[in-house]
Amino acid sequence: MIVVQQKPLDRIRQMIADYDRILILGCGTCATVSFAGGEKDVQALASILHMADKTRAGRKQFMEHTVKRQCEWEFLDEIEPMAKEVDTILSLGCGIGVQAIAERFPDVPVLPGLDTSFMGMPQEQGMWSEMCAACGNCILDLTAGICPIARCSKSLLNGPCGGSHDGKCEVSPDLPCAWQLIIERLTKLGRLHELEELMPPKDWSTSAAGGVRRIVRSDLRITSQDATPEGHERN
Amino acid sequence: MAIAALKRFATEYGHDDAGEPQTGAKRAEKIAIIGSGAAGLTAAHDLAKMGYGVTAFEREAAPGGALRAFIPEYRLPGEVLQRDIERIVALGVEIKTNNELGKDFTLSELKKGGYSAVVLALGLPLSRGLNIAGVELDGVLLALPFLREAKLGGGKTISGKRVIVIGGGNVAVDVARSAVRLGAGEVHMTCLEARHEMPAFAWEIETALEEGVRLHCSKGPKSILSKDTKVAGLECMEVKAVFDEEGRFNPTFYEEKVSGIDGDVVIIAIGQAVDLSFLRDTAIKLDRRGQLVFDRDTLATSEEGIFACGEVISGPGTAVGAMASGRQAALAVDCYLRGEQMAAPQPDDRMDVGELLATTTSEIKRLEKQEMPTLPLEERLGNFDQIELGYAEILAVKEAQRCLRCGAGAEYLEDKCSVCLTCVRICPYGAPIVTRAGSIDIRADQCQSCGICIGECPARAITFRRREDNQIGERIEAAVTEASLSGAEPVVIGLCCSYGAFATSAFTKFFRDNYKPGIRIVKIPCVIKIDTSHLLKVFELGADGVFVVGCIEEDCPYQMSTFWAERRVAAVKKNLDEIGLGGDRLEMYTLSNPTVQKLDEIVTEVTTQVRRLAPSPMRNRRGEA
Repeated sequence: MIVVQQKPLDRIRQMIADYDRILILGCGTCATVSFAGGEKDVQALASILHMADKTRAGRKQFMEHTVKRQCEWEFLDEIEPMAKEVDTILSLGCGIGVQAIAERFPDVPVLPGLDTSFMGMPQEQGMWSEMCAACGNCILDLTAGICPIARCSKSLLNGPCGGSHDGKCEVSPDLPCAWQLIIERLTKLGRLHELEELMPPKDWSTSAAGGVRRIVRSDLRITSQDATPEGHERN
Repeated sequence: MAIAALKRFATEYGHDDAGEPQTGAKRAEKIAIIGSGAAGLTAAHDLAKMGYGVTAFEREAAPGGALRAFIPEYRLPGEVLQRDIERIVALGVEIKTNNELGKDFTLSELKKGGYSAVVLALGLPLSRGLNIAGVELDGVLLALPFLREAKLGGGKTISGKRVIVIGGGNVAVDVARSAVRLGAGEVHMTCLEARHEMPAFAWEIETALEEGVRLHCSKGPKSILSKDTKVAGLECMEVKAVFDEEGRFNPTFYEEKVSGIDGDVVIIAIGQAVDLSFLRDTAIKLDRRGQLVFDRDTLATSEEGIFACGEVISGPGTAVGAMASGRQAALAVDCYLRGEQMAAPQPDDRMDVGELLATTTSEIKRLEKQEMPTLPLEERLGNFDQIELGYAEILAVKEAQRCLRCGAGAEYLEDKCSVCLTCVRICPYGAPIVTRAGSIDIRADQCQSCGICIGECPARAITFRRREDNQIGERIEAAVTEASLSGAEPVVIGLCCSYGAFATSAFTKFFRDNYKPGIRIVKIPCVIKIDTSHLLKVFELGADGVFVVGCIEEDCPYQMSTFWAERRVAAVKKNLDEIGLGGDRLEMYTLSNPTVQKLDEIVTEVTTQVRRLAPSPMRNRRGEA
């Protein structure tokens, strides 16, 4: 899942300062699961912003709505009537949702109520960890199912480094050293010898570093556009 | 749960508020009820409420049937019965006492008298006797006349005498326990059944033993022993089996195994009967054994417009069973008079609430049963004072708190759910589980209705099954509106637990709506059900201050109620600080059951604290738009 969190309230108040009629739009998938953009969060933020506005004798109006996923055109269709009525949409979705709204409703300013943090999972109720950096070329088969790209502070391919102490990363005493975890797990699996082979430098062209990414699959597309080369495509 | 004790409490404490009895639109038809016992009175009550003119004919000098004449005073005080009868009379039911069917009037006279339907609720007023040697002796009594005399007076004294009761049913126990109270020297009970087979309620037998009754099980009466013309004891045979191989009552004995019990009085309590021979001359059919022929669903006899209910058709049972039968008869009469078919009894398609799993019970707080206060053993002899004294208010509310609200808890709305698994992770009882299809099942039979998951669900995909529990927001809104209308400043709303001592009348009466201007207390079935949106809403609606008051953890039936309530209050306090409204406007308290009246001090404290802040800008005041 994509893990998000709400922006500081002051920042949100700053963003909406110029607008009177505001649609607070929740997202029923990742943002809900992140406890930042579900129906409950939309309701609470609307209450808080309404009160904050009133304390300064403002007259802002807040509308509340939550769609299943902001990152799908079809799910955005239902807000079209509301979009026409408001001065801005404050999205409680991830950055994808914000941009989908901007593209779907070109005439309506859209504001991000959340910061998109990372791809990860809840380790426990109320605690999320980054697990994947979307490098576009997965090596988890070589690292015992533990990603050194996302979970090693240096994204080392042949770790650990000298900053690993008692299983923790020098960056933070709370942060486990990913390479320590990899070694422990490979030992348990009886495959530690696999590390004797050095990993060559990674081709980062499939990652964000390689530029904007897009996947096109002609086997799935149903529009008869000009064939685009399969696989990763760079704009 | 002590349901009977709670029902009794409800009738004792709720009586003042029950209001005037109401009846439906008047109907032209008149109905005669023969007999004013539990069945007859219930039929009369129901029919009167439907609007019919009802007359009950009672052969005795006062109404009440077995409830009045036979059920001992220590179990059912006359004044309680009298109060119920008065309420039935207040519905317009006329009770004609000293009026016996077959003697003072006939069925055809009733018909001529304009009665459109007749309900026979004759009960089983006769005691069955025994056909053994010695039953004619001086000192041999029958159960019902004995109970009647014990209750209404007129019997011979048994003080100091040794009493032997024959029978193992509830009536036999009543007889034995009445004999104890009348001062019998010894009271013995003999019955055919082994202890575990006895038809009397186990708790009745236990109490009889506590009161000194001696039990002789698996004994069949052979003869009543005599000295001169008086009873000297009972000769018994050992019972081989009470029931035959097909489960029918067919006792067999070891004739040679004979024993004796010395005694001065023998009371036969082996069953009850009714003499219906006076119906032989009417069109009402009796079967070979002299019992009424009737339809099990409509309770109609073979004669048009004549119905029967209660023990006369069911055989001996409980007063509640007789009342249920009376209720069925009232429905049947109504259908008959309207020319409608009596609806066939609907198959009960309600789902059973499943068993609580061990994994659930291990997490449920164990609240001990509130024992019914009873008259001490030594104070029971020589009088017929009621033994069960009834719950005091605090005991009743504590007992009611033990209800697990099976099946009334959280309801899952699949189409809103984002399957975040929060409910699965936070439920203290493990009620929600992940299904194989990848959705959530909040198992109704394991759910304790605390509402933690409802407050925490980010998708608002869980609601309460009970409508009232979902209306907390509306009640808060109404309270703010009312408090604002009073014009008083500041407007302070208390969100307060409604369980335990908070439910007692002393608390409720003190903190009712006119308690203090500008202050309103909203009762919430445990503060665990208050979520952050409720708290934000109160301030958004314009309250100047809010306080949340729950029970201390030890008094609360739920797990973690204080934890969740405090966490939510803290979150909203932070929000209020962030927007400059002031977190000091919101406070949380817990009170133990004996200290709930301290709420008064809390109100003063919060009000004083809120007065120091500016009035809430959220509320429109006089002179504002």
